[in-house]
Amino acid sequence: MAANPIHSYTLVITGAPYSTQAPQTALSFARAAIAAGHTVDRVFLYGDGVHLASSLCTPPSDETHWPTEWSIFLTNNGIPGVACIASALRRGLVNESERKRYELSASNLLEPFIIAGLGEWVEGNTTSSRTLYFHAGG
Amino acid sequence: MGTLMVIDQPPYGTWAGREALDMAFSLAAFDQPVSMLFTGAGVNWLRTYQDTREIKQKSVEKNLSAAPIFGVEAMYACARACTQYGLGPENMVDGVVLAENSSELIRQHSHTAFAG
Repeated sequence: MAANPIHSYTLVITGAPYSTQAPQTALSFARAAIAAGHTVDRVFLYGDGVHLASSLCTPPSDETHWPTEWSIFLTNNGIPGVACIASALRRGLVNESERKRYELSASNLLEPFIIAGLGEWVEGNTTSSRTLYFHAGG
Repeated sequence: MGTLMVIDQPPYGTWAGREALDMAFSLAAFDQPVSMLFTGAGVNWLRTYQDTREIKQKSVEKNLSAAPIFGVEAMYACARACTQYGLGPENMVDGVVLAENSSELIRQHSHTAFAG
């Protein structure tokens, strides 16, 4: 039997945690992909998906903390997690340098996520063998 | 080949279409081939003389008119959706190609993306 082809994935999450299942579904996919020998090149948060990178999410203690789950997964696997800067600033997600630039009262970007432009998505689109989208419906 | 950005959301009432347009412009800015398909309620993006003063939003018409300047290769509109929403040559922006068969269009591109 021929071996299944190995893919490199860019994952794009556009659904927010706690209002959609997108971050959860994407994490299940990412874990399964790596377990099957594939690679995940990067995770790009776009639109409402940037809420996944907030260090201020505080779900009830008997619910899964999706930002923390993602943070641990990205750190353990050395995968870059990138939040789109335009989406992030509109939705109140800022790192320390944006906090200073806009003279805001606080920053709230969860490590290891970084904030960058859509160019990160474009690069993933061109270098990964597959780009998968996790939207509000999924 | 290239990416087909699909806008299936109306221009107002949701931000998803605007974010899809940003994705298309971003690909074009990095010299990646990209075309756009407007389908479903998304065809309303293509309507001329959008007056958004009452809803205090920026009209998307100006954003969209920048598509050829950014290097978006083609703009397609689902013919059936245009009929459904009463869009024709008399009230649609210039330069849009009517697509009778969206699934064929999707097959012609290597990537398809929606903003949300």
